[in-house]
Amino acid sequence: MNLQESCIPQEGSSSSKFDSLLTTASNTESDVSVVTPFLVKHISDQSLIPKDNFHKYCYRHNPDITCNKRTDEDKMKKIQTALDKLPSRDQEAIAHVWSIFSAAPSAHRQIILNGILTQCCFPQLSYVAQEVSSLIRIDFISTLPVEISLKILCYLDCNSLCNAAQVSRKWKSLADDDRVWHHMCEQHIDRKCPNCGWGLPLMHMKRAREMTEEDIKPILKRRIEEITNAKRMKLSSSQESPQPQKQLKKRPWKSVYSERFKLEKNWRKGIYTVKKFLGHTDGVTCLQFNRKYLMTGSYDTTIKIWKIETGECLKTLTGHTKGVRSLVFDSQKLITGGLDSTIKVWNYHTGQCIATYKGHEDAVVSVDFSNKSIVSGSADHTVKVWHVDSRTCYTLRGHTDWVNCVKIHPQSNTIFSASDDTTIRMWDLQNNQCLRVFGGMDKNGHIGQVQSVIPFTYKEELIEDGSESESESNHLHNSSHNRTGGGSISGVATGNEPAENLDEVDELPWNPNYPTHLLTSSLDNTIKLWDVKTGKCIRTQFGHIEGVWSIAADTFRIISGAHDRLIKVWDLQNGRCLHTFGNNASVSCVGLSDSRFAAGLESGAVKMYCFD
Amino acid sequence: MSAPKVIVISSDDEKFPVDPKVAEKSLLMKNMINDLNPDGLQEDFEIPTPNVRANVLAKVLEWCEHHKNTIFPDDDDDDARKSAPVEEWDKNFLKVDQEMLYEIMLAANYLNIRPLLDAGCKMVAEMIKGKSPEELRRIFNIVNDFSPEEEAAIRRENEWAEDR
Repeated sequence: MNLQESCIPQEGSSSSKFDSLLTTASNTESDVSVVTPFLVKHISDQSLIPKDNFHKYCYRHNPDITCNKRTDEDKMKKIQTALDKLPSRDQEAIAHVWSIFSAAPSAHRQIILNGILTQCCFPQLSYVAQEVSSLIRIDFISTLPVEISLKILCYLDCNSLCNAAQVSRKWKSLADDDRVWHHMCEQHIDRKCPNCGWGLPLMHMKRAREMTEEDIKPILKRRIEEITNAKRMKLSSSQESPQPQKQLKKRPWKSVYSERFKLEKNWRKGIYTVKKFLGHTDGVTCLQFNRKYLMTGSYDTTIKIWKIETGECLKTLTGHTKGVRSLVFDSQKLITGGLDSTIKVWNYHTGQCIATYKGHEDAVVSVDFSNKSIVSGSADHTVKVWHVDSRTCYTLRGHTDWVNCVKIHPQSNTIFSASDDTTIRMWDLQNNQCLRVFGGMDKNGHIGQVQSVIPFTYKEELIEDGSESESESNHLHNSSHNRTGGGSISGVATGNEPAENLDEVDELPWNPNYPTHLLTSSLDNTIKLWDVKTGKCIRTQFGHIEGVWSIAADTFRIISGAHDRLIKVWDLQNGRCLHTFGNNASVSCVGLSDSRFAAGLESGAVKMYCFD
Repeated sequence: MSAPKVIVISSDDEKFPVDPKVAEKSLLMKNMINDLNPDGLQEDFEIPTPNVRANVLAKVLEWCEHHKNTIFPDDDDDDARKSAPVEEWDKNFLKVDQEMLYEIMLAANYLNIRPLLDAGCKMVAEMIKGKSPEELRRIFNIVNDFSPEEEAAIRRENEWAEDR
């Protein structure tokens, strides 16, 4: 007896099947008076159903959907075995019930089912409930319209997507779809995803996505073989046809995502290798690096340029007469500031010093530049702005002690300076006015010398310190009006000084280009996060047990180097310390990229931690 | 006479009279009502939905009724729509068997009721999240059509995402 196709059958196959059922039923030449006419009537009715109408088939009996067939077959074998054990009379009776149901149109079926269900005892209903829930299983992803399936997949995290890609061929083609992974990349690259809390490094996105075949080699070692094989095949198949030498090759977004994901995983798990750069004969004070070069300045009066890949020292620049305290470079030039009170501009490709700027009355401890302006911070308490083209120099006065760090924020044309007087100042590069002073007890400011400042813009929410610290700082403020970092001696910016006790009045006339936040580090052992708009410190990160000389940050992380010989990696968004790395000398400067960070030590050594 | 109704007719010819406000949760019906009644609804207006069974249509209209006053985030604000979790009421509403969920999603797609389709998609995504390939095959009754070699290769290809 064949039990298959017990629902609306396909025309053609149906009648023969029911014929066979009928034959079984009429073997005993009795009880056919009701059954046979019913079957004859309705089977002919059903032949009127158009064959190609998708909506007439349910998911289970749609001939295009094959996945239920196998599970149903297993089930039928079991039914068959159970049935075979019964006396033939009973088999026949059961067969009648089935064939009538089978032939019945759907309205009739509903009546039959309702009748059967009302007769069921609860244990049987419970059985039905269980069976039904395991029977109604639909392969949503394969059978929904493609755009809906892709939409569903876009709601998944990457691990779930990778599992989905292993389910079946159909699932793989959808779960690996470039549209889904493009969406994943949009959600995670260079931002922390609000859903899963993961963010992935930018890694020169455009370059990674559209690479020439030449560029792709060093980065994608795994794919080299595939590509060269493909090349070989191309060459052999069409030797004559002109091959564009530098054809842009689009990588799938999934591979873009996975490359970044692996890197981020290394950052999180602390999986890295260390490169060492040895050569300076005195403490390293400053450093910067890009993909190719690492440049370091030292108390030994020199600047060294290192090739990162090999670790070799390419050049040693000499010219400063005392220690080098600060450096900054771009693709053409290098600018340095030294204890000899000068600023020097170098062509680092030739090693030549192009220009020397004199003007500060004491050591230059910090330099930055943007476009055609150089900004310097000095032990003479001033910040100087050097306009290279017009050969003019402005002096920004206000700090009452060494200026340890200056940073230009080009988008808003402002400068930020951090000083030993425990404050940070924000200046307008246009009119040389001080716009704001960050510091003081009432703002929960630093209580030690501020060593570095980083202005940045963050669009999502940053975790701030709880309200307890706020009330604590208020309490402190009420008990002592001793403002540590008051700039009351300032001749330039008295009008912009924060008014004591009147926090709310102190709103900066807002410019949308201003950075939203500052990060600062200080010899008071803390790292602070500031809201530029209100001028208040909104988060203090504790952990270092001695002064924090230097910090570096990107969209995800903060790296800090301190006198306690430790380098710490922090989560920018929530301020938690993720990793701590020990050294044999105090850490005076740090630098950060997507995949690496570098630290210059008091001992003269430079270390680079590589997470790629 | 009472205010005119929109009468939605299922594929099996059952009629569902609803307030125009309820029907207009479906952009398809909203456009039909507005296009064919430029001066506003004067009398009952019939809309056949030949793709939707009565059982499913009843559910979909129940949803529209519940949400007739809900203002959903802007269609353009992709991020807000994506990250918003499924509302508790919708979650319970969509706790139905897979066939019903499947048909509701198809109906929401056909009738152009985006928030309902979104909620359905998120429900299915929840069913997929955190499951192994084998579990997924079981949940959705899918036959593994990879050869053992292919399966191993694809597993290696996707290993990077595990254990983060």
